[in-house]
Amino acid sequence: MVDERKIWAKVIGTVIFVFMEIAALSMLKHSGTLQDIWISKASHHVMAWVWGGFDSIGRYFSLRTENENLAAENAMLTEALRRSQDRVQTAMENGLLTDTTIVFSGYEHVPASIVKISRNKQHNYFILNKGYEDGVQPQSGVITPSGIVGIVDAVDRHYSYGLSFMNTGISISARLGNEGAVGPLTWDGISMDGAVLKEIPLQYKYSPGDTVWTSGNSMLFPPDIPLGIAGSSKVVNGAVNEIEVDLFQNFAALRYVTIVSNAGREEIMYLENLENGEEEEKK
Amino acid sequence: MKQPRFLINFLLLLIVQICMANFFRLSQFAMLSILPAMILLIPIKRGTIPVLFIAFATGLAVDLLSDGLLGLNALALVPVAFCRLGIIRLVFGDEIFARKEDISIPRQGLWKMSVALIMAQSLFLIIYIWADGAGTRPLWFSAIRYAVSLAGGYILSLLVARILAPERTSGARR
Repeated sequence: MVDERKIWAKVIGTVIFVFMEIAALSMLKHSGTLQDIWISKASHHVMAWVWGGFDSIGRYFSLRTENENLAAENAMLTEALRRSQDRVQTAMENGLLTDTTIVFSGYEHVPASIVKISRNKQHNYFILNKGYEDGVQPQSGVITPSGIVGIVDAVDRHYSYGLSFMNTGISISARLGNEGAVGPLTWDGISMDGAVLKEIPLQYKYSPGDTVWTSGNSMLFPPDIPLGIAGSSKVVNGAVNEIEVDLFQNFAALRYVTIVSNAGREEIMYLENLENGEEEEKK
Repeated sequence: MKQPRFLINFLLLLIVQICMANFFRLSQFAMLSILPAMILLIPIKRGTIPVLFIAFATGLAVDLLSDGLLGLNALALVPVAFCRLGIIRLVFGDEIFARKEDISIPRQGLWKMSVALIMAQSLFLIIYIWADGAGTRPLWFSAIRYAVSLAGGYILSLLVARILAPERTSGARR
């Protein structure tokens, strides 16, 4: 009986100790900028490590399904490549093409998989299994063939922390139709496949069912990634349209993604800084 | 009379620590603290749980009343409270619990008391310096800060051990 009481006292003492340390860390996090960054980084690291472990176990049991999906995708890509080769061959035979042309997309692609993702908050996030050792940089876009997933915010050695598109603080530049107006696309804050395209001038006509694409105006995402289908709209402040968008991307079943980073970002930023510096000098 | 006297001395030492944190900042390499000794010298009959609360409140009081980071002293002091009985058992043995005897220099000797004080002080300083630096300070800086603070803190802790000794707080020598 005495031993049992001692054990319970130790358990309760340990729980109180952990609780107090968390409380002290929480206070410390809010009282110093350095400490805030340090604690956030450590918590991301721990979270990534824990969820990475769970993910490895889960992935082991779904290997068969993944293999089947990969085989199907491989077959589809082989077929597409064969057709493309046939077209190039035909074009070269007809004298329409004299040399193969390499098109530089300007974006580097890193395949990754999601280790953890939150979906039930207003500021959702995800953790990817690739870090700076794999060439991932902060402020890179995260996409899938079905649309965009979010933006990489912080990068650790083997993991990256990203802000999901399902985050009220994120907006991306999107274009309505093939040559339509460009405006910021944000999550509607409610559903897993709903977004709102804002600031579309009233003179731009569109039809519900038009596709919404990435505009390519930001350095984060390549242009012409299909994002979703335009739905109903409403006029805001009598000046601009706000259009509902049904996203192609299903955040409920998300696993494999591609991290895209603009290969020319440093050059663009250098030019921007140069321009800003010259403007300041003129002033 | 034993309890109120210990409490009064404890509160006076807390005020001294707050004054030290505010007015006696010798150098960026020295962080003088008597808090680990104060926690270590709380009577043994007080179990771990009450001492955890005392340590948290004491650390928070110092944080609030000095212009440091809120939560830093509490973060470093609570582990001292958690490990207090373990340190006492390790240094002074199980007999002290059987005799329900409080620790002091006259009873346990300067050597053993010093080891216990240095262990408590070290635990406190490692966490304090680590969290205060937030991974931005080089190891040599933290190591020097730890060594200087430990040396200063040890001397002050011996004074605290004399002030909070049961022989003084009980009002009579046994």
